[in-house]
Amino acid sequence: VVGLLKRYRELILVAFLLVGPLGVYFAHAKHPSERSRLDRVILVATGPIEKGIGWAVRGALNGWYGYVALRHAHERAAELERRAELLELDRLELASVRAENDRLRALLSFAHVYPDRRVVGARVVGVRLDPKGLQLVTIDRGAADGLERMMPVLVAHGVVGRIHAVNPSTADVLLLSDRNSSVAVRVERSRARANVRGTGSPDLARLEYALRSDDMVEGDVLVTSGTDGVFPRGLPVGRIVGLKRAGQGLYQRADVKPIADVTKLEEVLVITSHERAEEAAPAQATVVPPASPGGLAPIPASATVKAR
Amino acid sequence: MRPVVAFLVALALASAQAALLRWVGGGAFSLALALPVVVYLGLHAGNVDGAVGSAAVGYVVDLMCAGPKGLMTFLAVALFLFSRLAGAALAVQGRIGFALLSGVGTFLYGVLSLLFTRAVTPAETAPGLSLVGRIAVEALLTALASPLVLALMRRLDAVFAREEPGLLR
Repeated sequence: VVGLLKRYRELILVAFLLVGPLGVYFAHAKHPSERSRLDRVILVATGPIEKGIGWAVRGALNGWYGYVALRHAHERAAELERRAELLELDRLELASVRAENDRLRALLSFAHVYPDRRVVGARVVGVRLDPKGLQLVTIDRGAADGLERMMPVLVAHGVVGRIHAVNPSTADVLLLSDRNSSVAVRVERSRARANVRGTGSPDLARLEYALRSDDMVEGDVLVTSGTDGVFPRGLPVGRIVGLKRAGQGLYQRADVKPIADVTKLEEVLVITSHERAEEAAPAQATVVPPASPGGLAPIPASATVKAR
Repeated sequence: MRPVVAFLVALALASAQAALLRWVGGGAFSLALALPVVVYLGLHAGNVDGAVGSAAVGYVVDLMCAGPKGLMTFLAVALFLFSRLAGAALAVQGRIGFALLSGVGTFLYGVLSLLFTRAVTPAETAPGLSLVGRIAVEALLTALASPLVLALMRRLDAVFAREEPGLLR
């Protein structure tokens, strides 16, 4: 036996590496478990790399637009043209800063619509919309900023997803488009109830459990119903497209186009308070805006601001 | 040494990929840069080194995909064996051969992961076969990017390679 083991040790090792993980997979698929300490340590190591690359790309873009493009303009144009290029560049930068300010203002105004909820602003630093796995984005806020699993994540105009896993300085957000993601919704116009579930594609979800007798038409806006215990009530989720009402059956089927385009996310809000504050207490919106290279818009005095 | 290098390279590539896709496409398409590392191991590493290194790379992909653990590790070792067989049968040479093998391997890897996930997931949350199109795009882009991984792995191999003492030493 020892001779056989020695002779086929490589084959046995490869077979073990093949079969072992498969057994682990089937065990985990039936009984999902939390990440181990080793998993978390390794994932923490990815955070600085993602942040570093984001910093480098931003720096390279700034360098390109600030220097290389200008040198090119110097070669091409006379003095007045160069000045015009500089002014144009400034105008574009200002427009970019203004657009960023508009987005941050929209996030802040959303925070003021819900003054009894604490929100944290975050910047997207990584995207993992992998068709083989979960649909995740990584944000630059984590447990150190008070983030926990299942906290809802939004942009000013709609639902993005919920916190899936938290590291000390980053967190993974499970997007609405993930097939494991289900949000309880109402049709804004008729108040009919249903669920929206992701399909794995960033730009399409599907409507579930919508009674065939319910009043809904293509183009109807779906908002969160607040009954799933994760998302507050009334947040836009998506718009009904491709409604199919069969001649029989309990439910009607429809596709949903999510309001928030997850492929263009830059900043998001995380609602960090689970329960409503007391009615008598003054509004306390703790808004932590995302780190911004171009500066931030003025923030109303009613908000406590922690800039990173 | 090779398994450790493969693990670290896969971790770095997976992190870099996540950060770069945030700037390029925003997730409209995906990449699997860790898989060409497995293909490289299949073509150039020994049985033990390669299998352990592939399992380590698969573990990284498992962590990044955040699904139930084990599937990506299993598929990575299977991809290692596939690459080994392909390398022996077809004499894969040069960047184009490596890119072709990486593309085909990535596609099969994605399709198998889809099928395994469908096998253990309730019907309502099972991934649809419509995702095969996304997997094909992922395989194509991974094939295009794989020569860079090949160059990186060759360079690292040159750095960490040890000469075996011969009879005349």
